[in-house]
Amino acid sequence: MRPVKSPVAARAVEIALKYGADSARAIVEQNLENSVMVLGSETDRIMSSASCTLFLYLFIDGRYGSFTTNMLREEELCKFIASAVEATKLIARDECRGLPDPALYYRGGGKDLGQYDSRIESLTTDERIAYAKRAAGEVWGKDRRLLSIEVEWGDEIEHSTYADSAGFDGETLQTSYYLSANCSVKGRGEEKPESWWYEGSMFLDSLQSEGCCRTAFERGLESANPKRLKTGSYCTVIENTVSSKMVSPILAALSGGNLQQGNSFLRESLGRKIFGENLTLTDRPHTPGLPGSRYFDDEGVATRDRDIIRNGVVSSYFISPYYSRKMGIPVTVSGPSVLKFEGPSVIQKNELSLSALMQKAGRGILITDFNGGNYNRATGDFSYGVRGFLFEEGRKVHPIREMNVTGNIITLWNNLLAVGNDGRLSSRWMVPSLAFEGVSFSGL
Amino acid sequence: MENYLPLFGVSLEDIQKIITSALSRGGDYADVFFEYSTSDELTLRDNEVNSVESSADYGAGVQVLKGGRTGYAYSESTAMSDLLRAARTASGIASGEAGNVNVADIKPLEFKNRYPILRNWDEFPLSARRTYLQEFNDRCIAGVPFVSKVICNLAIDDSRIVFCNSEGDFFCDRRPCTTLSVSCILTKGDKTDNITTSRSFRMGSEMLDAALQDELIKEIREKSGFIFEARQPKGGDMPVVMGSGSSGILLHEAIGHAFEADFNRKGVSIFSDRMGKKICSSKINVVDDGTIPANRGSLNVDDEGVIGQKTYMVTRGVLTSYLHDRISAAHYGVAPTGNGRRESFRFNPIPRMRATYMEDGDCTREELIHSVKHGIYVDNFTNGQVEIGAGDFTFYVKSGFLIEDGRLTAPIKDVNIIGNGPEALADIVEVAADSRIDDGAWTCGKDQYCAVSCGMPSVLVKSLTVGGSL
Repeated sequence: MRPVKSPVAARAVEIALKYGADSARAIVEQNLENSVMVLGSETDRIMSSASCTLFLYLFIDGRYGSFTTNMLREEELCKFIASAVEATKLIARDECRGLPDPALYYRGGGKDLGQYDSRIESLTTDERIAYAKRAAGEVWGKDRRLLSIEVEWGDEIEHSTYADSAGFDGETLQTSYYLSANCSVKGRGEEKPESWWYEGSMFLDSLQSEGCCRTAFERGLESANPKRLKTGSYCTVIENTVSSKMVSPILAALSGGNLQQGNSFLRESLGRKIFGENLTLTDRPHTPGLPGSRYFDDEGVATRDRDIIRNGVVSSYFISPYYSRKMGIPVTVSGPSVLKFEGPSVIQKNELSLSALMQKAGRGILITDFNGGNYNRATGDFSYGVRGFLFEEGRKVHPIREMNVTGNIITLWNNLLAVGNDGRLSSRWMVPSLAFEGVSFSGL
Repeated sequence: MENYLPLFGVSLEDIQKIITSALSRGGDYADVFFEYSTSDELTLRDNEVNSVESSADYGAGVQVLKGGRTGYAYSESTAMSDLLRAARTASGIASGEAGNVNVADIKPLEFKNRYPILRNWDEFPLSARRTYLQEFNDRCIAGVPFVSKVICNLAIDDSRIVFCNSEGDFFCDRRPCTTLSVSCILTKGDKTDNITTSRSFRMGSEMLDAALQDELIKEIREKSGFIFEARQPKGGDMPVVMGSGSSGILLHEAIGHAFEADFNRKGVSIFSDRMGKKICSSKINVVDDGTIPANRGSLNVDDEGVIGQKTYMVTRGVLTSYLHDRISAAHYGVAPTGNGRRESFRFNPIPRMRATYMEDGDCTREELIHSVKHGIYVDNFTNGQVEIGAGDFTFYVKSGFLIEDGRLTAPIKDVNIIGNGPEALADIVEVAADSRIDDGAWTCGKDQYCAVSCGMPSVLVKSLTVGGSL
């Protein structure tokens, strides 16, 4: 069933104003989600869920509160909002809180971003099981080295309705389908290395389900019997499945919340050349057919194309209306939508991207997965466990184990060698494979 | 325990109808889990308590088991028509006709309440909480060198549960959880760094006393003392002395997950074939415990109607038990261990840890440090992860010290440590007699988020791979 615009959002705003809020914003999120899990050749789990949640933001005499509930009958809603208003009145004023300037709102008129597939409305549980079993059947029972395979099929409809007391009124609707495979294969001794693969799409017809389990199994086989390498400085290529790990610290460091608190390794970086000439990162929020595309953010502020970093110079912070008032700088947007690397460092041949990057790097470590680790928001120092391969002349030599990659985010990006052109449609930010030089790995 | 049936508008007869419907296609077992959870948060930022958040989540989940398979559906409404629809959906994991479904007579479970609320939040209202946070902020700013900003969040979570299964087990439970989280920004000249800490208990407002403020400020002061001198150390393999308390993250990641029986039932875990075998030094006993009073990981009853208990996973170096939910217990032919847990009514239960810790050994922390010529001492962590099959685990060290010639020397920070679970466990060569549970807000993210805790005495691990500079 295709969700329709929820009247609850506007009603919640109305009730909040009636109970004493000066202004209010509401978002109602409706999700319909189904998944099946197949273990080997047997159905292991069937799940079905439907949820509807109200997010309500209140502004009362310079005070601010945010509230969430899934109890949406009129009587429950009135009681919940009355209590929310009273709670908000008890905290300290923060004059920077408030709705955005309406001039910043998205006013409609954009073309359909192509994010909904109506086929989902007629999909049955039996079809879901059949998709998952067909996928598992690619490999299960065909090779004794495959010890276990779990295949999950999932599909979801996400619908959001937006309303606020300054007149913003919006709606988003998106479908998603995914197929994931987790394998255990025979490794050295009692080790059973795991491997995974994941395919996702907003449209059933374009979901690359064929080959998903085979890819997971083959990745498991090639990762068996890994060796440790000596501690040292290596070139590294980070595969497109996990490369966002090195981009997300930059995006967090450019967010108003971290900048205003001083908890950012990119504080006072706007307009300064922080990174190498070869790094250009942009936001292209109106690209049709991509999961991250959107015309407005959660506050209704219109999105637009923007440079985040251009030739190494920081071009934009992510500044919401609150942090705009707090920091005295203009509103941009609360966060990125569709990331796109540009410039001469981007390798153009999509199908050869990973091997082309390894070729360009010569000898080094291909990272195919991270195992734990973290980074320091204030300094940018990071340290992560890695899985992957030693590569030479563009080809994998052997898998590696028990190694850490350690460094500083700014230093790392100043050693950017090349950027792939292979961002995966199944990931929201579609960060492609990346190559860096002079990176510290610790092992033997 | 108070009867929460009226909260959900259902009777015991209604519940039996739901279970009967859930088993109507031949399921072996069914349960229904009602939950009403609230969360009230206050946040202090920029020296003032200027943000309030509340949430309410209400609904019920129906689980059906058929052999080792699971059918699950939930509803955000507890109207009988919606609950019966969820039951029919979950029943689809079985594909036959049940004939006569016999649901056992309902028998309320008897249990000890391990987390009674001693002072209700009504007696410590929002205005008092605001004052408490404000005092804490002011004491931090005034009393701890280099602290320029404090972000302090108080989260009061409270869940009311009603559960019944096809075996007739019925219980109501109230699960409080109060968490105080603190993040400090420190500034010295043009250098900036941060420190985080937290405390979390299944308690009411009695948790917020002056002693808690004193304890947190002492910890922040200790952590801040060396932060601007600390560096990432030279990386490589070396001995690691893990201080007592939060080093329990080693147990959680290195072996705890691998002992969760779903991974073993599926043949995925590296410990799948080691039950009853010696896996580490006889000095080592490892426990997963749901019975510690007011502990964040404790459960009066798990989410499948199994009474909370203490489970020895490793006894004198021998693997003695996995952590079971009902599915894995049936698979192995043993009793469930009370580890069937779920994030909320939206999720089916799976085996999860509670409070995982190692019992005392027989030496001292100082003896461990003195025995190391070159290595590191670590006692402050933020997160960890494990690859169940390969056994490789990691944890992120926020701060510690180099050990040189048996003495703590230069401070270190921000490094990842990686090891292999079975090897690291076998490499624990000495255990001190200072075991301590860490009461931070540990949350495990295995498919679903779950409150846990961990603990450890100081131990010496012969060799781990430490991330760092060249």
